[in-house]
Amino acid sequence: MSKITVTNLKYKYPHRDNLALNNISFEIQPGEFIGIVGENNSGKSTLCQSIIGLVPHFYKGGYGGSVIIDDIEVYKSDISTLCKKVGLIFQNPFNQVTGSKETVFEEIAFGLENIGIPRDEMIERINFSMKLLDIEQYKDRNPFDLSGGQMQRVAIASIIAMKPEIIILDEPTSQLDPAGSEEVFQAVTKLSNEGITIIMVEHKIEKIAAYCDKVMLMHKGELIKFDTPSEVFSLDNLSDYGINPPIFTSICKKLNLRKDDNNYPVTIEETLQLLKKERSYEQN
Amino acid sequence: MNTKKWLSTAVLVLIPACIGINFLGKSFAEALHLPLWLDSIGTCLAACLAGPIVGAICGAANNLIYGLTLSPISLVYALTSAAIGIVVGILANKGQMRHIKGAILTSILAGLVAVIISTPLNVIFWGGMTGNTWGDAVYAWAVAQKLPMFIASFFDEMVVDIPDKIATILIVFGIYKGLPKTLTSLYQSNDKIENLND
Amino acid sequence: MKSITLYEYKNSFLNHIDPFCKLLYILAALSIPLILGVSVTKLIFIAISIFLIISNKVFKKVIPLFTFSAIIILTAIIIQGLFYSNNKHIILQLGPLKFYKEGLLFAYHIALNVLNILLSFAVLIFTTKPTDLIDSFVRVGFSPRFGYVLSSVFQIIPQMSETMSTISDAQKSRGMESEGNLFTRIKAFFPLISPVITSSLINTRERAIALEVRGFNSTTKKTFLNQQTRTRKDKIINIILLLLIILSSIWRIITCLK
Repeated sequence: MSKITVTNLKYKYPHRDNLALNNISFEIQPGEFIGIVGENNSGKSTLCQSIIGLVPHFYKGGYGGSVIIDDIEVYKSDISTLCKKVGLIFQNPFNQVTGSKETVFEEIAFGLENIGIPRDEMIERINFSMKLLDIEQYKDRNPFDLSGGQMQRVAIASIIAMKPEIIILDEPTSQLDPAGSEEVFQAVTKLSNEGITIIMVEHKIEKIAAYCDKVMLMHKGELIKFDTPSEVFSLDNLSDYGINPPIFTSICKKLNLRKDDNNYPVTIEETLQLLKKERSYEQN
Repeated sequence: MNTKKWLSTAVLVLIPACIGINFLGKSFAEALHLPLWLDSIGTCLAACLAGPIVGAICGAANNLIYGLTLSPISLVYALTSAAIGIVVGILANKGQMRHIKGAILTSILAGLVAVIISTPLNVIFWGGMTGNTWGDAVYAWAVAQKLPMFIASFFDEMVVDIPDKIATILIVFGIYKGLPKTLTSLYQSNDKIENLND
Repeated sequence: MKSITLYEYKNSFLNHIDPFCKLLYILAALSIPLILGVSVTKLIFIAISIFLIISNKVFKKVIPLFTFSAIIILTAIIIQGLFYSNNKHIILQLGPLKFYKEGLLFAYHIALNVLNILLSFAVLIFTTKPTDLIDSFVRVGFSPRFGYVLSSVFQIIPQMSETMSTISDAQKSRGMESEGNLFTRIKAFFPLISPVITSSLINTRERAIALEVRGFNSTTKKTFLNQQTRTRKDKIINIILLLLIILSSIWRIITCLK
């Protein structure tokens, strides 16, 4: 059974005339790593927020169609129920800290206290998620005294501790320096290996190409294509949607180097493989 | 106590932000040596954005927190701050904060209410003085003229509060006008989800 | 991050007392003199507060509070001593200034009030971590959502002061006037403050989302990471304070009936 089923989803923010999401349908399987790409204001964040119920419950506005997580219909549920299944991490690490706790340890506990996890289990879960995100050494620090990358890892740990089955990351590294981004990507890879379903909006197209099982291409509130990275990035009119393909895809396009399925490679590994194959043809 | 029904999370988060803004206004006024307090900008903004009840909560919580941390004195004036929030909230709900004339009217009313509530508090707690140099000079003059202490205290508070509230509301007006509609609608709790199914 | 609170951990007796005991102490210090109508009780409570403050090693931090109350008291002495409306008997004459007995007595009562309020609160404020105080309220049924509002203020204000110093430094280096006449200073105020206000309002949207996705509105009964136990010592103190308030009320009622 699909983990997430979206059918004809439409959404309009309050006091706006245009649809932020226009008739979107797709399915995501358990454990998949999904990337979302598209220009600014193409509806990526809105789509992310519709999975955890912020759309429509937090913003209100106009809503049509349905989003179903396992067997819960988002429209009929609420955010405090959905947040036990779906976790959301967004851009600004600073705004994700609750701002009411004095140490990292207490900060991670915030969500667990709210959903009524017994104290012993709470401590166990906090320790587990701090270890996973490698932030144990900041345990007693004030969250606001950490660097952006460290803070973002605290934000992720706070979500992990709530044991969601789906984690949505909405441009988690866009406000971080390269070192901070790398920290976050490594953490996300670990989560994916744990079997958690991951949906990630990211501008760093190379990262999407390297990590994702499937990619969604969005444009003006519509879902243009939902397929494997090489299928999506091999689209001829990709630039019409404001997206530049990964560097190796561009090179291979110029060289007309195609894989067996007629698509271009998207990562250095794929390109190397392809080149090796070509060379062995020539040698034979 | 169930707060969920009438206070959305967005509104709850607005309150500490506005208390922080109060603090910021006060600190900048002190740093620039202005003869005004400017310590209720946040309360008035909260009232404009989320209505009189939230304005009142913001004002009262503001003084409660200062009272319990930095200066116990401000605890006494929690009532005044709450009243300012209510007045500004009611007038903003009536659309007065959308034009400059209405803003000035709001500021004068807020100032008067502040004076009316603070004066008895001043009299009860400190014999009618405010601790503000300008105001207390007026107080001393009035008492010397053999005016009743209550009247003297009223003048004392008025000299301090009316100009302060006019300046505060004008600043609030300037900021409120520039806020995006997507943000201001977040604090209106009466919105319903519209059905877009065909 | 710099903290705004006056609290400092000294591992003292009062640090380990339940915040409610200290709140009850404030209640007693303010209500008993009011109930009894005897100003000597205020003096007694002032003495107790001073004793508690000194014995809990926070006296140094209380000094600024004293200077503040000294200003109020001094103004009260001068203004009331000279101009109090019931002034009849001159007690002291300094050149043209005539101090009256009635006014000075009135100032004395103001001084007692100011000191009693400030010092009894100081007993709580200087020895209690604000979040502990809020937590103990939430435990007895105070809305955790309001608890959030209060505790987040303690984090927001230090951030605000950091932002403020960054901005004023930046503005000063750009040659903005923060000195000069009143008009230039007023003109400087708005451009300084409005961007910070606007951005902190815009940030509330994301902060609210962050809370929502962490079960802020969950209807499940909340649990607590930090344990709190009320010791026997706390209970005894509470009982003594309550008894004092009740006894003084009874005494007052009896004397009124006589």
